[in-house]
Amino acid sequence: MRSLLNFLLRFRTLILFLILEAVALVLIFSSHSYHQTVAYGAARTVSGFVAKRINAGANYFMLRRVNEELVAENIMLRRRLEQMGAGMQEHFLTVDDSLFGVSYSYLEAKVVNNSINKQKNFITLDRGSRHGVTRGMGVASSTGVVGVVVGVSPRYSVVMSLLNADFRLSASIARNDYFGSLAWDGISHRYATLSEIPHHVRITEGDTIVTSGYSAIFPAGLLVGTLTGEQERGGDFLSLNVMLSTDSKRLTNVFLIGSLNREERHNLEVEVTR
Amino acid sequence: MKNLSRYTGAFVLLIVLQLLIFNNIEFSGYVNPYIYVMFILILPFSIPSWFLLILAFLTGLVVDLFSGTLGVHAFATVMAGFVRPWILTLNITSQVTDPDMSPSLYRNGLRWFFFYTVTVVFVHHLSLFLVELFTFSNFFHTLLRVLLSTAVTTFFIILFDFIRPRR
Repeated sequence: MRSLLNFLLRFRTLILFLILEAVALVLIFSSHSYHQTVAYGAARTVSGFVAKRINAGANYFMLRRVNEELVAENIMLRRRLEQMGAGMQEHFLTVDDSLFGVSYSYLEAKVVNNSINKQKNFITLDRGSRHGVTRGMGVASSTGVVGVVVGVSPRYSVVMSLLNADFRLSASIARNDYFGSLAWDGISHRYATLSEIPHHVRITEGDTIVTSGYSAIFPAGLLVGTLTGEQERGGDFLSLNVMLSTDSKRLTNVFLIGSLNREERHNLEVEVTR
Repeated sequence: MKNLSRYTGAFVLLIVLQLLIFNNIEFSGYVNPYIYVMFILILPFSIPSWFLLILAFLTGLVVDLFSGTLGVHAFATVMAGFVRPWILTLNITSQVTDPDMSPSLYRNGLRWFFFYTVTVVFVHHLSLFLVELFTFSNFFHTLLRVLLSTAVTTFFIILFDFIRPRR
């Protein structure tokens, strides 16, 4: 007993060191699943509030570019509207349901905190559960995919950015519909890697990469980026270098994408595969 | 008592600087200075090592809470707090007349302070970046980030120590 006490006393610093590091590791692992990153809402709300104040000033200087982007998006939406009207007339029946044929809903949001300089980057938005935001919603800007909501507090939500080493996105080459998995390589904030593309697929520099729609987080066909032509052959698949269409370094206005039928689809998929 | 308020003041100031300014430095992803480590560096020579470890842990935890990385900074600061006494014994100066004073540029000289700062900061940044990623893949890319960030952090800590009020 005595020698045990002596031992503990002699190595008390080392023991304390090991205990504290163990506590830190437990904290890391228990919060590491990125679905719980933001379990501690209180601290988030405080830092979100501060970040919002800082951003209010910074936003003012981006008005010109934001306007340009909004004009471009308006035009795109107008075109789409027209196509839709043409398609609708082919049906005889009228369905008195404002959600008929609609599977995604959109909500605009402002970026109040953003980082691109870490290996695991997150974005804070000024929309939270009060506005109907839930975990797993997709986030995109008018220029393309931004990330996925991983944490929600009443007034804020935190988005795992595309620029996060843990982010995976099911994306496909728009021209031939071959799909693969898109992940960030952790080096430049403008580039990511699309892997799992079979060898025989012909690719051209500048091919458009869009979301595949297989995850029900993003609708199919949302812009992700373009191929730079650089590729890596290894194993059975190609890895393609993708230039992201969204410049996360200057992100101000984004929109949240809620999938209205996601639960139904998910339940069906789970039921069948079980 | 006077010391307590001094160190509390330094703690708050460093954390605020870190969260509001240094967390927002974006330099192509390679430079992430974490200047709040300075708090661990300036604690007095005489601080017992167990107390140093606990303070280091708390410092890391506070930074973690505000940057949404629970545990990562705490791990790195405890590592820094653990190596600090070793580095001090390796690198002891004859100028330590009063063990209650804090290591500084002013009393211990630039060379001594630089070596001391750069080692502790390096240990902190290395463990931080490795734990943050939790992989050894791309190790040289990580190492480059560690070295560049260590250089920038050291620069700022020496600058801050230069303008710090002297007792």
